[in-house]
Amino acid sequence: MRNYTKPTWFAIGWLGLMMFFSLFGWLLPFKPWNFVFEDDLEVGLFSSGHLLGTDSNGYDLLSSAVAGTRMSVFIAIAAVGLGGFIGSVLGILAAYLRGKIDTVMVTIFNVGLSVPNLVLALALVSVLATNVDINQAVPTWRRVMVLIISLTIVLIPILGRIARGATLSWSGREFVTAARSMGMKDSKIILRHIVPNVLPALIAVAFLAVGVVIIAEASLSILGVGIPDGASWGGMIARGRNDLEYAPHVLYVPIVFLALTVISTNHLGDVVRSKLDSREAKV
Amino acid sequence: MSRISFWLQRVAQLLIVLLLVTFGVSLLLRLIPVDLATILLPVGTEEERDILRNELGFDKGPIGYYLQWLGNFVQGDFGKIYFSGGTEEVSDHLKVAMPRSLLLMVYTQILSLAIAIPLGVLSAYRAGRRADKIISNTLFTLSSIPNFAIALLLVIFVGVKFAWLPTLGYAPISDGVWEHFKHMIMPVISLSLGLIATYTRLLRADMIAALREDYVTMAASKGLSDSRILWRHVFRPSSMTLLTSAALSMGGLIGGAIVIESIFATYGIGFEVFAAIAGRQYVALQSTVAVIALFYVFFNLVVDVSSGFVDPRTRDRRVNA
Amino acid sequence: MSALLSVKNMSINFDTPRGSLEAVRGVDIEIPAGTSVGVVGESGSGKTVMCRAAMGLLQGSNVKRSGTVIFDGHELTAMSKEEVRNLFGSGMAMIFQDPMTALNPVRRIGSQLSEGLRVRLGMSKADALARSKELLELVRIPNAAAVLKSFPYQLSGGMRQRVMIAIAIACNPKLLFADEPTTALDVTVQAQILQLLRELREDLKMSMVLVTHDLGVVAGNTDYVAVMYAGEVVEYAPTKKLFADMRMPYTEALLESIPKVDHKSGTRLAMIAGRLPDPTDRGAGCSFAPRCKYAQEKCRQEHPELKKDPDGHLYRCWFPIGEAK
Ligand SMILES: Nc1ncnc2c1ncn2[C@@H]1O[C@H](COP(=O)(O)OP(=O)(O)OP(=O)(O)O)[C@@H](O)[C@H]1O
Ligand code: SF4
Ligand SMILES: [Mg+2]
Repeated sequence: MRNYTKPTWFAIGWLGLMMFFSLFGWLLPFKPWNFVFEDDLEVGLFSSGHLLGTDSNGYDLLSSAVAGTRMSVFIAIAAVGLGGFIGSVLGILAAYLRGKIDTVMVTIFNVGLSVPNLVLALALVSVLATNVDINQAVPTWRRVMVLIISLTIVLIPILGRIARGATLSWSGREFVTAARSMGMKDSKIILRHIVPNVLPALIAVAFLAVGVVIIAEASLSILGVGIPDGASWGGMIARGRNDLEYAPHVLYVPIVFLALTVISTNHLGDVVRSKLDSREAKV
Repeated sequence: MSRISFWLQRVAQLLIVLLLVTFGVSLLLRLIPVDLATILLPVGTEEERDILRNELGFDKGPIGYYLQWLGNFVQGDFGKIYFSGGTEEVSDHLKVAMPRSLLLMVYTQILSLAIAIPLGVLSAYRAGRRADKIISNTLFTLSSIPNFAIALLLVIFVGVKFAWLPTLGYAPISDGVWEHFKHMIMPVISLSLGLIATYTRLLRADMIAALREDYVTMAASKGLSDSRILWRHVFRPSSMTLLTSAALSMGGLIGGAIVIESIFATYGIGFEVFAAIAGRQYVALQSTVAVIALFYVFFNLVVDVSSGFVDPRTRDRRVNA
Repeated sequence: MSALLSVKNMSINFDTPRGSLEAVRGVDIEIPAGTSVGVVGESGSGKTVMCRAAMGLLQGSNVKRSGTVIFDGHELTAMSKEEVRNLFGSGMAMIFQDPMTALNPVRRIGSQLSEGLRVRLGMSKADALARSKELLELVRIPNAAAVLKSFPYQLSGGMRQRVMIAIAIACNPKLLFADEPTTALDVTVQAQILQLLRELREDLKMSMVLVTHDLGVVAGNTDYVAVMYAGEVVEYAPTKKLFADMRMPYTEALLESIPKVDHKSGTRLAMIAGRLPDPTDRGAGCSFAPRCKYAQEKCRQEHPELKKDPDGHLYRCWFPIGEAK
């Protein structure tokens, strides 16, 4: 457990910093992310007073990135938590109960999986975020909710299928058959024997799913259907595209934050999975 | 079970998925809390809207609407895009967009496989050694960088700083091969990096497993060279997963292409999806998503067919199953 | 008579998650030209590893080898991979233990059989295929033309084993390692395969190393026998001499464990009480001591040295059978 490699420590450290930013970012002595520094437009990286520079609106990029962390991390954790929970419940039940329920679940998963992630997310967001009065702008909080719900729906079949696969391979093992033959209740078997064994595989995928959600959120923002003016990394990238020719550092900042976060979650997902593989190999 | 009934069953399964996908999208549209006819014809008269409602089946229930759409779709009528000045056929848009996207994907797949196969073979052959570690770590890092970030960085450096390549637009092959590729290089690279990493990783894992097989030692005992063993005896049985994942990644590519096509203004099918959503062209959206799902399902079938060629065992196993 | 193959002080270790595994320990063995040498021992005693190591077929970063192997005047252990490779096919060849796994599942028999001919003997594709058909007929495969076009999974176990033999003898090797060529087969097929090997050996003037579990097979098919235990050759003698006058308690136990109904072929090694010692943790004394009925204190303390009777009979025991205890 303790013999983590340097990249693993880096990933843990970076994600820790991101968690800190998202939970306690407001404690830091920053101006609000959309505070306009009128005298400092498009200041470069590492300028005095603006560690990461400013964009053409005069927004400080470090403040923006910290604020963006909160939004991106919140959306990612909420969507992966919800999607992971619903997906696992459905997947585990389908695999454990088999029969018609399983067939229906598998079909639903396949339907979900046969539409590319981003297409599904785009369609959901656009439908759910339509106001009754189409001329009235959708408030930011509702956009956030819509994003979370849409990404949750995207994740359900992905995680559900993995939960189903893992459950299938475990529910065939002797100890499950033994528990069944001893008359143990299904709910108890699932909680005692299936869930603890399926969980590690799901955790490994959940790390990867966090990356998927963060990227999806950013993609939607770039396409203009994410969070329009609220700060998120995707929102920063979308804004920065306009300044691309004159002030590329406006893009570098969110890209680096986003890429390091995704690299870290992917790496940790990998570490969990290889731990898992070596455990399986020993069984 | 005979081979024919196996394939019939497989096709039936895929058709059901297709029907459910399109029905799902159609239901989703009915959930929009706004009158669809008003969205499509914001400045029209109420009579015009009534005609439209009737024409598109908005006045029917969800199932009636779906069946009407489906009937039109299978006859090649994909619906219209509504402007203030008139309408355009969705199929005309797709006729322009599909070939661009398909070329983009085909180039992406070719480039990805062309790079991933040698890298995968090399890192399996040198598993655990330096070359392997360098390849694996580099690809892992590159693949974690989202494709739009790579696209934007390419635009900044290759497009703007050095101005080697055009940053926007598309040129058909008829404009000249080089002109065509000039517009394709950056989108293709943006979409490829992630795939290269995935493919290399899959191939490496499968080849390492295959290298432990007795038939590899057997091949060595015949006095064959390492490269012959790697390519003739190890690569082929290992390429099955690669092939599957290449075909299945087509769906994900369409998703990735939405952003990439909008960054580079390629106006392929991904962009059509985006434009339909942004412009609230729900009929166009429904048909375009249906076309995408159709392709996705088609590639699934391609996997099934081609797996029999790569691994002869699956041919009979499936029939016997 | 000079030795065709001579293995000197060969040790093979595998790095495993549980530590270093000593699969072969200080083996010395000579295969005189024109003879057939049997290698017997329980499962896991290192027979396969020894043969593969002698041919230099053990690959992978977790393998550590030491010792020398000299084949037909070439010191294999001092040669490059490419040089050793040139000796395969027409110098040495191997029949693998499991015909299910040793044939490539996705390539046709014809291509697997002919590729050695093409690569090693430089035959054209057509010549190689024609020769392949002859080889299949030589190993008595009916309908050879059809078999050339089949995939391994379409053949029965006996057929696959014959195909493997055909591949091994394709380039007319001087030395054939036959690693349990009959274990996977039923008794009648077993007898046919052994008969086939005997004839081929005479016709092609091959020497052979015959690995087996089956003392009956050893008795009828070999000139010399090496008995392996826990990675070591613990007894080596001409076959007749070994059966008449064995020195190793382990060999005796092996023989006693055979059900006495039928002393001929088809009698596999039955269980000797106890198990092989953990290959990652060899104790100090004789490896057989925990299971040996003659074991004494010395056996548990000191590893027995290799002893040689005046007639060349080799064994590794402090208290050999036939000496005052
Ligand atoms: N590649 C390898 N890596 C690690 N250990 C190995 C490897 N190959 C063989 N071994 C170990 O070496 C020991 C000897 O194995 P070997 O296959 O030579 O036995 P054998 O005498 O041929 O047995 P059998 O009669 O079952 O074929 C065993 O403990 C085996 O687990
Ligand atoms: S050395 Fe001792 S224990 Fe080992 S075989 Fe001889 S008598 Fe038995
Ligand atoms: Mg063996």
